Amino acid sequence: MNDCERLSDRMPDVALHRSEWTPEEAAHLAGCAECLAEWELVLAVRALGEGEGEGAPTVSDSSAVSATLLRRLAEDRAGRARARRAWSFAGAAAAAAAILVAVMTGRDAATVAAPPVVAEAEALVPLPELEGLETAQLDTLLQSIDRPFAGTSTLDASTLGEHEDGELEQVFAAWEG
Amino acid sequence: MSASPVLETPSDHALAAAYRAGDERAAAELVRRHAPAVGRFLYSSGAVRDEIDDLVQEALFRAFRRLDGWRGEASFRSWLFAIASNVLRDQYRRRKGRQVLLIEDRDLPDRADPHADLAAMETEERLRQGIASLPRLQREVFLLRTQQGGGYVEIAAALGTTPGAARVHYHHAVKRLKELIR
Repeated sequence: MNDCERLSDRMPDVALHRSEWTPEEAAHLAGCAECLAEWELVLAVRALGEGEGEGAPTVSDSSAVSATLLRRLAEDRAGRARARRAWSFAGAAAAAAAILVAVMTGRDAATVAAPPVVAEAEALVPLPELEGLETAQLDTLLQSIDRPFAGTSTLDASTLGEHEDGELEQVFAAWEG
Repeated sequence: MSASPVLETPSDHALAAAYRAGDERAAAELVRRHAPAVGRFLYSSGAVRDEIDDLVQEALFRAFRRLDGWRGEASFRSWLFAIASNVLRDQYRRRKGRQVLLIEDRDLPDRADPHADLAAMETEERLRQGIASLPRLQREVFLLRTQQGGGYVEIAAALGTTPGAARVHYHHAVKRLKELIR
């Protein structure tokens, strides 16, 4: 690092009165046009930063700035809290909707997966020709239905192949009523 | 005779922590300490004088809103300056590139040598324009160094760059501005 670079690095501190030029540095500064130009620049910009310039403005009223700032921050916090609540509500509503859909879908599935109920319902369809019968007649009919076919026939099914066509016709007519 | 107690000035760290804990007076103290410097930084960066208060307000609002983002690698003021610089850039973008810096009409001060005052104002204005025309990192490094005396390590931490790069930006800025004010 040469003298110019060393001086350049020290300029901000000296300009801000945190340090002072050594006699050697002061001598270099007096004889070096480049360093002197940089020094004047640094001084001018420091003056701008310290409000020393002719028209340099700064914040007009710090207490007014902080009052406005605190109000804005409070409003911002309130706004964010409102947004969080709104999101929580939306989340809860979405969850409720999802549960409702799941329940409805599950109910439909349960309905589809229950064919015996449907079959039972179909079995309850009344037969109009049975409506006119008495209880005793219905019991008799049920007993005849429950009775094994083999029992109702005078012929053994295993010996059907030994009969003539006319005899078989009679057996079938007896079965079908 | 006992010595009078020395009232310690709380550090920026302590004030920030107090504000986070709910002490609004701590925020007011931080504003009192730093708002004027932020205003001058913005003015040096090319902000229009009538907008300084609003820009400072916005910079402070953004800073306090994410105070947890200040981890102390850079000073509070350097960190604030970096945020203020972003605010100024955003304002420039909102105006879709229209030049922020305006040459303002001012009343001449009633002094013994109005010509000297006018020359000083013109130089100041030229300097502001020159600083405003620098690339962003050059401008920020240059102002943090010349107005705050920040070291390259601290400046680099505030601006998210390296100390070596900060040094290079500073020297580029000096070179350009020296040519401008000659």
